[in-house]
Amino acid sequence: MTSTIIMPQLGETVAEGKVLAWFKSIGDEIREGDNLFEVETDKVTIEVQAVVAGRLSEIRVGPGATAKVGEVVAVVDGNMTAKAPVLTAAPAAKTSQWRSPFEEVSTPIGRFGPAKGPNGIHLTPLARRLIAQGGLDLAGLATEAQRRGERRIDGAAVRAAISARPATPTAPLPAPPSPLPVPEGNVISLNAVRLRTGERLTENWRTIPHVFQAIEVDFTAVNRVRRSRKADFQATHGFSLTFLPFIARATCLAISAYPQINARFDGKVLTLSRDVNLGIAVDLDHNGLVVPVVRGAGELTAIGLAKAIRRQTEKAKAGKLSADDLAEGTYSISNNGAFGTTFTAPIINAPQVGILSTDAIRLKPAVVSTPEGDFLAPRMIGIVAQSFDHRAFDGAYSAAFLSRIKLILETRNWDEEFPSDL
Amino acid sequence: MAELTYRDAVARGIAQEMERDERVVFLGEDIGKAGGVFKTTVGLYEKFGPRRVRDTPISEQAILGAAMGAAMTGLRPIAEIMFADFLAVCFDYVANEMSKLRYMSNGQLACPLVIRTGNGGGVRFGAQHSQAVENWTMMIPGVKVVAPSSPMDVIGLMAAAVRDPDPVIFHEHKALYAIKGEVPDGEIVDRLGTAKILRPGRDCTIVALALMVPRALAAAETLQREHGVDAEVIDVRSLVPLDTQTILGSVAKTGRLFTVEENPRLCGWGAEIASIVADEAFWDLDGPIVRITTPHIPLPAADHLEDLALPSASRIVDKVRRVLNG
Amino acid sequence: MASVKDATAPNDRLRNDDIGLDRRLELFRLQVEIRDCEKRAFDLFLQNLIKGTSHLSIGQEAVAAGFGVAMQKGDKSFCTYRGHAHTLARGASMEGMLGELMLRDIGLMRGKGGSMHLTSVKHDVLGSYAIIGAHLPIACGSAWRAQYLGEKDVSVCFFGDGTTNIGAFHEALNFAAVWKLPVVFVCENNLYMEYTPISEVTAVKHPAADRAAAYGLERIVVDGNDADVVYRTALAALEMARDGGGPSLIECLTYRHSGHSRADPAKYRPPGELEEWLKRDPVVIYRERLRDFGVKQETIDAVEAASKRKVEAATEACKASPQAPLELLTADVYADGGWAWRN
Repeated sequence: MTSTIIMPQLGETVAEGKVLAWFKSIGDEIREGDNLFEVETDKVTIEVQAVVAGRLSEIRVGPGATAKVGEVVAVVDGNMTAKAPVLTAAPAAKTSQWRSPFEEVSTPIGRFGPAKGPNGIHLTPLARRLIAQGGLDLAGLATEAQRRGERRIDGAAVRAAISARPATPTAPLPAPPSPLPVPEGNVISLNAVRLRTGERLTENWRTIPHVFQAIEVDFTAVNRVRRSRKADFQATHGFSLTFLPFIARATCLAISAYPQINARFDGKVLTLSRDVNLGIAVDLDHNGLVVPVVRGAGELTAIGLAKAIRRQTEKAKAGKLSADDLAEGTYSISNNGAFGTTFTAPIINAPQVGILSTDAIRLKPAVVSTPEGDFLAPRMIGIVAQSFDHRAFDGAYSAAFLSRIKLILETRNWDEEFPSDL
Repeated sequence: MAELTYRDAVARGIAQEMERDERVVFLGEDIGKAGGVFKTTVGLYEKFGPRRVRDTPISEQAILGAAMGAAMTGLRPIAEIMFADFLAVCFDYVANEMSKLRYMSNGQLACPLVIRTGNGGGVRFGAQHSQAVENWTMMIPGVKVVAPSSPMDVIGLMAAAVRDPDPVIFHEHKALYAIKGEVPDGEIVDRLGTAKILRPGRDCTIVALALMVPRALAAAETLQREHGVDAEVIDVRSLVPLDTQTILGSVAKTGRLFTVEENPRLCGWGAEIASIVADEAFWDLDGPIVRITTPHIPLPAADHLEDLALPSASRIVDKVRRVLNG
Repeated sequence: MASVKDATAPNDRLRNDDIGLDRRLELFRLQVEIRDCEKRAFDLFLQNLIKGTSHLSIGQEAVAAGFGVAMQKGDKSFCTYRGHAHTLARGASMEGMLGELMLRDIGLMRGKGGSMHLTSVKHDVLGSYAIIGAHLPIACGSAWRAQYLGEKDVSVCFFGDGTTNIGAFHEALNFAAVWKLPVVFVCENNLYMEYTPISEVTAVKHPAADRAAAYGLERIVVDGNDADVVYRTALAALEMARDGGGPSLIECLTYRHSGHSRADPAKYRPPGELEEWLKRDPVVIYRERLRDFGVKQETIDAVEAASKRKVEAATEACKASPQAPLELLTADVYADGGWAWRN
């Protein structure tokens, strides 16, 4: 068994050393503590002793030569192996912290148009955002401002332009998107954000073999709890308690039983994720689709999910999402309940392998089985569905996952998710 | 309710905490029998006795070191450093010791203490006794920093600081000791890390600290009355932890930010806030962020020169008006 | 109660065995283990398994062992970056200490502090301090707390000869004397400040003891290489402090066999000086002492063999230990376990 002699660490900031002389020759017997060689650094000259015993079989860095700290300078044949230090790779850093240490300040992503108009007039950042979000015509505004002799376009000017437009009704959330104003000629050009989103959707549709499965869920029990907690929730948190937090919670719980759903696929390898980073698809009126992520969703209760989803959705609508908010999603939910649809087959966000969709939940006649017999009753029924990547797993696995979500939604004690003294 | 001076509020805040918790002890130079050189601790020695209120030699390093050793082993000390400028004399304890103890020991050791100190200028003490140095303490990871602007905040934030399990540096302002304010009866406990919107407004956000707060409020009155500018004034109160959400929320509303800082120009506390806003709230900004500060010079003793150096209400009005109209 | 001075009378050693065999074996075991562990640290540094810097106590074991045995559970230690010996002497494990030097998860602070900041609260080691003199006032604060709460523990503060010239030393001594605090200040005078002989930079011959009078304290200089002398001196000082008699300042004369830190081959020592001091190697002295008291060679050998085994086991455990997980980067800046400076 051989051991290696390395250039030792000689000083706090020393990176290399020059061997001045060897005190042993090849073939010599070495005992622990023997002086082996003399080394010079920019701070000090020092003799290096052996920490192993054996026969010096090889000198790799001779007199006059320089080696970096840690580099092998000689080899000793002997009975003591210098074990390499075991530096096991640390497990992946948990993202349960609120902020990444390298994102103490969350830079918003998204470009909202150029800083100057076509005629060179400056725009404030607020003006650029309002123009992009309002779908206004920059060239027109720039010409107008120049005509009025203004030096720049600011937020007030854009807001004035917005209010001068014929108003498009903005319904309170959640609401179906208002129809695009149709100018003369039936030509609607898409803005940059929409075009980019479209490109991504196309790529995902093209490369992933989507299979769509749906299951009918009875939301009556969920609805009972939701209704009874609604007023208190609104008073405490300032927004409305919808079905989505319950569905998200059930999804996270089901994922722990079906971990392949919460994975990333690169075409060859399926990597399961330990954390559930749940993407919530948010439709930005006329500005495409973003999927901000709720990190560590698996650790949150229904209330926690409600708050986190609300926070991310608000950020998305205000254009304040950062790269951190959009990254590292492991599974997504497309919530279409507000549109009144029965089911929706969403497009998967690569490299995820599935996306849940939920649609309208409404009272429908259903058969309820009791020990006394089967009866027709009005129940709150909704479809919960999944588009999944058939390369990652098969229909039986996906169906089992959906069945688990159904079971959780229908039978879980949802009251326990809420504090008893709200 | 009662009207209390800022300096009496200091004594009341300390007394409130010392009554509540036997472990709270107080040390510093001339704080006991003399009631403090600024008369901020009058009555404490008589009420709590020499065992809990201890006069020390002129030994700033020993004062902070002893506070730290006592805090590490079970007490909740309050240590006075008479003039904030003297923090430079014992800065090792702030920069290297109390701030890093918990981290280096992997959570084994803690340092629940409060350093209270007389900060800031406007009192004609000259360059070595007039500096506003809260920014020196803001930049050390591991400590918390507050600077109250009113008697009620003095009591509430002192209580929060004493109850906080981390080292807190409590910057009182010497030029505010004589001001009066309404203070409710009974126990007052505030929260670190919270800013306060003292005057809501729509046209711009002015963020100020300590002595600069009353000046910003006065400027806002003038701006409204004479120039039709409706300014929102925020008292930052706590530099670490920093209430960025209140400031960002305000800028989202107004689109304009001004800071009013007593620190000399370079690396004043407002520079960090300006940087955060320019980053996270970039798309809310409707104009450049402007910092109104003391120039980057030592402070003179002469009153007319010192008054020129520190941001005044009229300098604030002038700058805000010019920038908003430009 | 015998005064501290009586404890150091040289010819008392053999005449009365006030120390007792159990404590003698304990004194020997600690010195041997400290020696073996420090020598292993020396080797691991050469192998680049210990990174950064390391300040070894080889040659200074008797001070750490003497106080380690004299101190009671609950007495608090504060030491400098040359604190490995003091940490082991209070009972911290070798793998905790070596592991910290190797910056592994098994280390006393999981690698967060490093060699210069060894801390083990459960062994009453309340930190090792790298800024010269900083911990003297801190020890005063711990002693103030004991005095205030009526607790009976004593705070003991170890530092080197170089510390006696820095401001915090003087502030702390005066403070402790005026408040009559239960603190013991122990100066390990190993003759060298870092690379400079202490005599060249100090106005008095004994850098600690000759300053004691300035603070109204007794002048105490002892042979820091004789663990019995250190032990007796320590006991007397601890007893005095515990009884409300106030602080002591003890200068222990000793010598370090290696350089200031591992990077220092100590070529500034005059020729022959190291050899002279090696003759007064504390471990060698104490081995002889045990034989004088009739301890059998096998007992002595067993202690030394056990120490070597412990060092091997600790080394293997440390080598097998991973480094701390990445999330420790931002842990424990504040009491809530996190690091948030903003909302």
